[in-house]
Amino acid sequence: MSSPFCPQSVGADTEAMLIKIDLHSTGFEPLVVLEHWQQAQSGIAASAAEAHFIGRVRGVAADGCALEALELEHYPGMTEQQLEQLARDCCSRHRVNRCLVQHRIGRVLPGEAIVLVAIGADRRGPAQRCCQELLEALKHHAPFWKREWRSDGSREWLSGNTPL
Amino acid sequence: MVSVVAADVPRVGTIRILLFAGLRERAGWGEQHWPANPGCAAGLTPRELWLQLQLPGELGSQVRVAINRQFADADTPLRAGDELAFLPPISGG
Repeated sequence: MSSPFCPQSVGADTEAMLIKIDLHSTGFEPLVVLEHWQQAQSGIAASAAEAHFIGRVRGVAADGCALEALELEHYPGMTEQQLEQLARDCCSRHRVNRCLVQHRIGRVLPGEAIVLVAIGADRRGPAQRCCQELLEALKHHAPFWKREWRSDGSREWLSGNTPL
Repeated sequence: MVSVVAADVPRVGTIRILLFAGLRERAGWGEQHWPANPGCAAGLTPRELWLQLQLPGELGSQVRVAINRQFADADTPLRAGDELAFLPPISGG
């Protein structure tokens, strides 16, 4: 029998958690995807608080040149597993109950969405904290690699992420 | 001496080695199958394979290891049938 002073198990929370993760090889409209995700939790099941993040490809490369496109490579199988594990762990820590992660792979043009993270929770604090933490986690621990294709014809793999 | 087997489909008794992104391009290959040496008491480790394959860069600070699609320590003994990946710096999101 567990003591009331012991940390509560997250097992039950994990079971109740709804996590949806997709990789898109072509462009997706984040607001359309978000609307569908919200419609699926309407009524009494709707989250009282939501936090969203949409990341888009900027039109300038790391060296200041105009960017033609960003190429996103991933590790099939491991990337999906890692995204799910990161989402599950992060949502359990913050005790949130809904999570949506959409990520592009392949060639992405400036202005196109590259990532969408949405979190549904009972309070704004856990929703916002979980959204930020999960975004940072996937940037550093989900196997994706970016290559810039610049308008001057040069191309280069990036060795890190942009500053927070 | 251990020799590298040309990559194609998964092979019994080998370790499948994968490289990605800039590391793959610098090395000039993306996949190889390496004999697992079933007779050896101690299994090869990713660190030993990294050195034997003479891969560019620095294992640990720049390049991470995944075994069977899970992050792993570079000194983990490998077994026949394992999928080993060397992962250059990650830049997602």
